[in-house]
Amino acid sequence: MRWYAALIYAFLYLPIALIVIFSFNSGRYAMDWEGFSLSWYATAFANPLAVKALWTSLTIAAVTAVLASILGTLAALGLERVTPRVRRSFDAAIYIAVMVPGVVIGIATLIAFVTVFDAVNPVLANLLGTAAPKFTMGLPTVIAAHVMFNLAVVVLIVRARLAGMDKSLLEASADLYATPFGTFRQVMLPLLMPAILASLLLSFTFSFEDFIIAFFVAGPNVTLPIYIYSSIRRGITPEINAIGTVVLAVSFTLLILAQYLLRERAPRA
Amino acid sequence: MSSNDDKPITARRFMEELRRYQRGSVTRRHFLGVTGLGAAMAVLGSAVPALKPRAAYAFGDLGDTLAFTTWPNYFNQKNIDDFTALTGVNVQISVFGSNEEMLAKLQAGGTGWDVFVPTNYTISTYNKLGLIDALDTAKLPNYDPASQESRFTGEATIDGKLYAVPKDWGTTGYVINTEKVTGDMTSWKQFWDRTMDDLSGRVMVHDYQLTTIGNALKYFGYSFNSVDPGELKQAEDLLIKAKPHLFAINSDYQPSMRNGDAWMSVCWTGDASQLHRDIPAMRYVLGSEGGEIWTDFYAIPKDAPHKEAAYVFVNFMLDPFVNAREVQAHGYPSTDSKTNALLPDKILNDPILYPAKDLLSKLEFGAAATLTDPLRAEIMARFKSA
Amino acid sequence: MTAATRSRIGTAAMVAPAALFFIVLLVLPLVVVLVYSFGLRAPAGGYQPGFTLDNYLNLPARAAAFLNTITLAPLGTLVTVLIAYPLAYFLAVKVSPRWRTLLLVLVIVPFWASQLLRIYAWMMILGNRGIPSLLFAAGLGDIRLLNTPFAVLLGMVYGYLPLMVFPIYVSLEKLDRRLLEASADLGASPFRTFLQVTLPLSLPGVATGSMLVFILLMGEFIIPAFLGGGKVFFIGNALVDLFLQSRNWPFGAAVSVALVAIMLVVIVIYMRFILGRSGTRRMVLS
Repeated sequence: MRWYAALIYAFLYLPIALIVIFSFNSGRYAMDWEGFSLSWYATAFANPLAVKALWTSLTIAAVTAVLASILGTLAALGLERVTPRVRRSFDAAIYIAVMVPGVVIGIATLIAFVTVFDAVNPVLANLLGTAAPKFTMGLPTVIAAHVMFNLAVVVLIVRARLAGMDKSLLEASADLYATPFGTFRQVMLPLLMPAILASLLLSFTFSFEDFIIAFFVAGPNVTLPIYIYSSIRRGITPEINAIGTVVLAVSFTLLILAQYLLRERAPRA
Repeated sequence: MSSNDDKPITARRFMEELRRYQRGSVTRRHFLGVTGLGAAMAVLGSAVPALKPRAAYAFGDLGDTLAFTTWPNYFNQKNIDDFTALTGVNVQISVFGSNEEMLAKLQAGGTGWDVFVPTNYTISTYNKLGLIDALDTAKLPNYDPASQESRFTGEATIDGKLYAVPKDWGTTGYVINTEKVTGDMTSWKQFWDRTMDDLSGRVMVHDYQLTTIGNALKYFGYSFNSVDPGELKQAEDLLIKAKPHLFAINSDYQPSMRNGDAWMSVCWTGDASQLHRDIPAMRYVLGSEGGEIWTDFYAIPKDAPHKEAAYVFVNFMLDPFVNAREVQAHGYPSTDSKTNALLPDKILNDPILYPAKDLLSKLEFGAAATLTDPLRAEIMARFKSA
Repeated sequence: MTAATRSRIGTAAMVAPAALFFIVLLVLPLVVVLVYSFGLRAPAGGYQPGFTLDNYLNLPARAAAFLNTITLAPLGTLVTVLIAYPLAYFLAVKVSPRWRTLLLVLVIVPFWASQLLRIYAWMMILGNRGIPSLLFAAGLGDIRLLNTPFAVLLGMVYGYLPLMVFPIYVSLEKLDRRLLEASADLGASPFRTFLQVTLPLSLPGVATGSMLVFILLMGEFIIPAFLGGGKVFFIGNALVDLFLQSRNWPFGAAVSVALVAIMLVVIVIYMRFILGRSGTRRMVLS
């Protein structure tokens, strides 16, 4: 059993090891080892396009995660109290959102957006003159498309948590004359916290990883996956490996930090 | 990429100082002191006319970004960096694998592209679909029709109006790794025959209908541009027969060729010269039956958000000095005689860039009809899904 | 305002933002797809308004891609379950709680190094200079791994393993260890205990994970594109081609509709017949 697990971890980490090792390669091509060097880290961080792609992706993923988690949690709570018909249409939307492939979501969203913008922009320009805002494809459109997809995931996660929850707690709280908001803050929120954290983490990951939806709806913006995709086409250099390694190192540090903080608090709970 | 053999050292030194100044690592006083701005600008101006500051383009009203869409391994990063240093405009580069992909994205809309690089046979379609506008040549002083070789530039002029300016030209042949591929390779017939024989599993073709179908047509001696259903049927049968023997259907063949996974691949001029530069055993073959000759252009989409910056960028890239640095990096021959004048003989006599006349004369420019022909598109799809 | 009205407005306010997102970003685009699927390919490619059933009648032209997907996606799901289950079991039952969280987190960490980078690393591992060169040195001859269905399968398992491990782990973790002890005390062999106690309890997790992985594999296109070299063709690849290369958007729309329809049918069958009997359906749907 133990050996089996070790084997699976080796399988999971073999490519990661390659990415990290070759980020220290001094050669130009990812797979020709020519000696140890940190120069690609310098190159990566001096490259405004790479750095901007990283920031663009972090921004999109962070905003998406927060929006999707808040709106999804609210929806999941609200859905407990709607009529079965409303809930059923919501369920359908959720399953379809998960089921439609990213390629289709990407191109269809693009066409829908462009059609709407082409209709709205001239009207706005007529009404407001040169001061009129002009809607174009960009970060907001990527975030919107990502939030839609992740909303479905968040609603599923939060509802799974709600399903296993003891409703008598809420009733007890109401019986003790707590305001609805008080009940929410003091009873509901702590109970939902694990689900909300999982939602944040998952939506961040999905959004940070997405290539195909952003490819269609990001306008001229280059996200990190788009940048990497372009680089793979050109013959990848260790520069990309360096960026990947930094992302990994930061996530690792955050994880260990979280682990440490949670462990400190555990005995008191 | 070869960025160290730029010629006028004074201009380069100046650019370095300028960048240092803009980064804020040196003061303005230091910058002026080191460069002696007036003198340096004169030197720079003579070396790089495009860099001469013009009142019309008082840098600053250009915006801070420019979206440039091009092909993989197709620009000199140093030129891009210099453009940014000069104008403050950051160039956001994305790369595409086929003209179809570029067209699809422009058709869908909302690209936000400012400058893109279409191939000769697509320009009339872009024009017909209203996706590009005629260029304002007054804003492109570096474009001089007199120094351009006319056979490479014709397709950019429609009804007397200029819609795109030439970037470079090239051919589509195939590259072989002579350490693995022995014997004399000279034709497309050999390409396909040996793919299905001793090179099985080691050959790549483009994920691009024009060249893949075109070069299958060449096996039978048909026109590269054929849209004749009977001829296309034969090409399709050949492709489907060859498919199990291919290593991959992918236009990004450089990594696999370098890695040794693939030994032979359909190949564009510049990729061949880049591969040959790093690995001398790589040899470029133009099929004796013919094949494709093409020109790539700079064009500005109709709804480009930064049109002014786009013009400045294209004009900058057309400057012979800048263009010569491009050629040295990407290895595609220029259409411009002023650029050629700045290139070393080593490049001008390179048989990969400038194939022998008898080989060249058999090549065909891609035809507009192939881009939109539904049958060719469908054959490519059937080939890939077979 | 009565309390009931206020509560109803509150509920509406909670659900409305999500509903708005679904309407604007899911329903509207899907209506576009549906409308396009009955339209015509413009002469220069793209979409032209019209009404025809040709795009649907033409679906057999992509039969090979559908077939590939409908064989490899379930196969990939199955292999992923088989590989993920022992690991999830190990994590939930065998590992001491001290190490459990760390080991669990280690399962997802690879996810944070870009998917594209990891696939590229696999291209290196499976390519000429990777495993095949080792196999060659070991005297096993010239074995090609990259750009084969095997490579695609491996990529799929690699890419989706964490998504399978987690749900199975969660369902196994709830398992009361006293049940296992009781079973052993009653003289059941470990294998019988597993079959009669552990496995049924973990089925909801297996079902959730399988559905998730299956759905994502059905629409996958990056793994077959990079590890299959354009030779292992999924419906996802056919879609990318139809939208970006041949630019037959109406046909692409029809293929999308067909793909979603197939997935719906498969999933409904799965829930009715497989989950329906084991009583886990409700839990999967949660």
